[in-house]
Amino acid sequence: MTRLLALAAVLAAPPLFAQPYDKPPPVGPPRPVTIAAPDVATLDNGLRVVVSQRRSLPLVTVELVIRSGTETDPRDLAGLADMTATLLAKGTARRTAPQIAEAAEALGGQLDTGAGWYRTSVSMTVTRPQLAAALALIAEVTLTPSFAQGELDRERKLTLDALAVALRDPGKLASFASDRAAFGEGTYGHPAGGTPGSVARIRRAAVVAQHAKYYRPDNATLIFVGDIDPAEARTLAQSAFGAWKRPAAALRAARADDAQAAPPAPIVIAMAGAGQAGVAMTAPSIARSAADYYPGVIANTLLGGGYSSRLNLEARIRRGLTYGIFSQLEARRQAGVWWIAAQTRNESAPELIAVVLEELRKVAASPPPAEELEARKLTMIGAVSRRFETTEDLAGTLASLEANGIPVAEVTATIDRLAAVTPQQVVDFAKAHWGPEALAIVVAGEADKFENALRAAYPGLRVIPHDALDLDRATLTK
Amino acid sequence: MKNVWWTRARAAGAMLLLLFCVMQQAASAPAVTVPPLEFRERVLANGLRVVTLEDHTSPTVSVQVWYEVGGKNDPPGRSGFAHLFEHLMFKGTKYLKAEQMDRLTEDVGGMNNAATREDVTHYFEVVPSNHLERILWAEAERMGNLDVADENFKSERAVVEEEYRTRVLASPYGRFYESFSPRSYAVHPYKRGVIGNIDELEAASLDDVRDFHRTYYRPDNAILIVAGDFDPAQLDAWIDKYFAPIAKPATPIPRVSATEPPRAREARYRETGPNVPLPAVALTWAAPSARSPDAAALNVAAALLGNGESSRLNQALVYRAQMAQEISFSADLRVDPGLLVAYAVAAKGTSPDALLKALRSEIVRLAQKPVPEAELAKVKIQLLTQALDGRQTPMGKADALGEAIIYRGDPAYANKELDELMAVTASDVQRVLRKYILDAKEVTIEYVEAGAKKS
Repeated sequence: MTRLLALAAVLAAPPLFAQPYDKPPPVGPPRPVTIAAPDVATLDNGLRVVVSQRRSLPLVTVELVIRSGTETDPRDLAGLADMTATLLAKGTARRTAPQIAEAAEALGGQLDTGAGWYRTSVSMTVTRPQLAAALALIAEVTLTPSFAQGELDRERKLTLDALAVALRDPGKLASFASDRAAFGEGTYGHPAGGTPGSVARIRRAAVVAQHAKYYRPDNATLIFVGDIDPAEARTLAQSAFGAWKRPAAALRAARADDAQAAPPAPIVIAMAGAGQAGVAMTAPSIARSAADYYPGVIANTLLGGGYSSRLNLEARIRRGLTYGIFSQLEARRQAGVWWIAAQTRNESAPELIAVVLEELRKVAASPPPAEELEARKLTMIGAVSRRFETTEDLAGTLASLEANGIPVAEVTATIDRLAAVTPQQVVDFAKAHWGPEALAIVVAGEADKFENALRAAYPGLRVIPHDALDLDRATLTK
Repeated sequence: MKNVWWTRARAAGAMLLLLFCVMQQAASAPAVTVPPLEFRERVLANGLRVVTLEDHTSPTVSVQVWYEVGGKNDPPGRSGFAHLFEHLMFKGTKYLKAEQMDRLTEDVGGMNNAATREDVTHYFEVVPSNHLERILWAEAERMGNLDVADENFKSERAVVEEEYRTRVLASPYGRFYESFSPRSYAVHPYKRGVIGNIDELEAASLDDVRDFHRTYYRPDNAILIVAGDFDPAQLDAWIDKYFAPIAKPATPIPRVSATEPPRAREARYRETGPNVPLPAVALTWAAPSARSPDAAALNVAAALLGNGESSRLNQALVYRAQMAQEISFSADLRVDPGLLVAYAVAAKGTSPDALLKALRSEIVRLAQKPVPEAELAKVKIQLLTQALDGRQTPMGKADALGEAIIYRGDPAYANKELDELMAVTASDVQRVLRKYILDAKEVTIEYVEAGAKKS
């Protein structure tokens, strides 16, 4: 203590208490991220094998991708693809559900099975010595599931309980309802996991038929990422999946049923006691194969991707309306979905919607300043690059390309394609696809705190009491 | 359990990251070597502890500053302040404008975020490695020169209140998770949790911000961790340049001295909330500090009970009895004595009492009957694989070192933890469950929809 006092007394000028440099130092020369093209092979039965080798840790992610997903759900059986995928791990010709869980976790990994909109995945991440056993387990559950009635009943009950919880969460509820409002009874209108009505209708025969139709080697890709070379991977793939028979008849393409009515007037779902309003806005959008896919990704990043997007800047940073507002362009195989979602104080819902519509108008009105666009492009490029860093994330990136029918080599060009997007392409994309009239707007919350203000802006506003909601119908009411 | 760390930004798809990092690890029969984290450590004259780890796997670098201050240090009448303060660290300094941290990270292909827990506040960035020097400058700048304008303080406080509403009020079980700490502690400031409440957030002022920064945001209360693609000599020079000038204050750092007394009696609480479609129940017990020699055995016990589909609680309550739709068991070990928390959300048709009985009996069964060797080996390889998985990136490696310092006082513990977990035996598991659960007092929490009948 005395030493410090003495030192202070000696100094004539105030001592430095902080770092004294008033400007950020310069950056060094660029260090671009590069990624090697994955190795691709096809087995005799049509199964594609994709390998991306990395030796840094003794870890491998192996993911079997069925190139069909929730978009194949029959109209009245929403959730069928996901239920089928979930039941794979719930019993095979040789093992019960608990035995499968035990076997998977004894390898150190977790056996993940589930359906996304355009793909179904069965995957595990394990240490290298466990890889062959993990692959054998993935093959067993994929090829010989028993789909026991008792397991379907059990899984149905769990799914219905989880849905009951989700439907009391204003954010999730608003998203489910705005998907339905945007797509009506078309392919993308239902929650991926199904609705209370549709899950109750799923029978064993439908699950067996779903599996028979889509789980076939010429509709599948096996992806390895991690500590394994392509030759070893092919040998393992052949031994685990070589006997999988390709059916004689070709797979019929999934239906492209997009009954997209014009979106209805904004909808309020009245939820007593909701701690916030969930606001969701959804519109149909482009397919992954669209020529303007990369401009769309960058336009969306500018609008609502990441922390410093225009939506988050205005709604969160400037106005303090929300903990976060995001938009997402989900380009799927046949069409896409574009959504914007946030939660805010019940009273603030009308202001939040007005902010979104104003930002949308601005994106379409004039090209973004070059400096802003450059920053948002790098935001997206950084997010994409970080997905190359872990075995699971890279496997997921490759799985998405495979399921969309895009050559996996495109992964090496992704960064360049994002970087090449111009300000004019962004404004063109917004003009072509982002008319505010395309958005289905849903607010779930304590209606008496925002209904009147919202009705002033939208005289056609429709209010649905929570207990009258029916997610199976385009009208959203029973 | 839902170990929610209150964070600056919400995750959205691949765009932003929320870390739920499992730190435990173990190994058994399979011949896998986990490469040790090869770090260097030094302490600057001003007390700043510096840990660096070179890794050229990708051309990126993670810079992290861990301050030994958290929810437990909230000033009186200011519950939630440490977390509010974390948000304000992005709101400007003498030479950095509000949100300029985003310009230096997100805008160049990097990311940033921060998280507040009971014991620690953790700031982290990942940037292309040619931007490393700038980030060191920026972290030094907000350690030494924080300067928040009133307008930015108020708008960010409103954001934190929305975070509270999103996680606690709007989420069907938010109030339930938030009740664990207040119902489990009698004296220790851990009882206040981290997020606080709207009234006390509203009471906070800019003076509080300046006081808190002066008191806790100082080099001798911080750990700087840099992991990734850098040249060590160059890095050391930059750290000296930007961090060495920051003075070490002469005042002592206030530390929490409260001692939580042993629980005198068991207690049962009934919590309610709106929009709770299915009841939930929790059991909590007092746990030792993360530095206790019993920590490894408690982590193994927690994994046996709650880690994965094949875990005891999942198999018994979700699969066989179909009484629960979700279960969790966690050894929430902290710097000061932590908690063991078991909880379950009911399946439709199951009463809270029936669920509690089933939950308790499964835990007691593990305490009373020796766990089979194969099951013990299973959780060890699970924990090992999760640890390896978490260390694939510079950020994951830096996280492992930071956790080791905060909770064990030594970065080298990141490399020793594995050995400790490997050494846990079936009788260790039984012994710690007897000591901390069978022979201890439990707190029971029942959570039901407001207006529901008492069970």
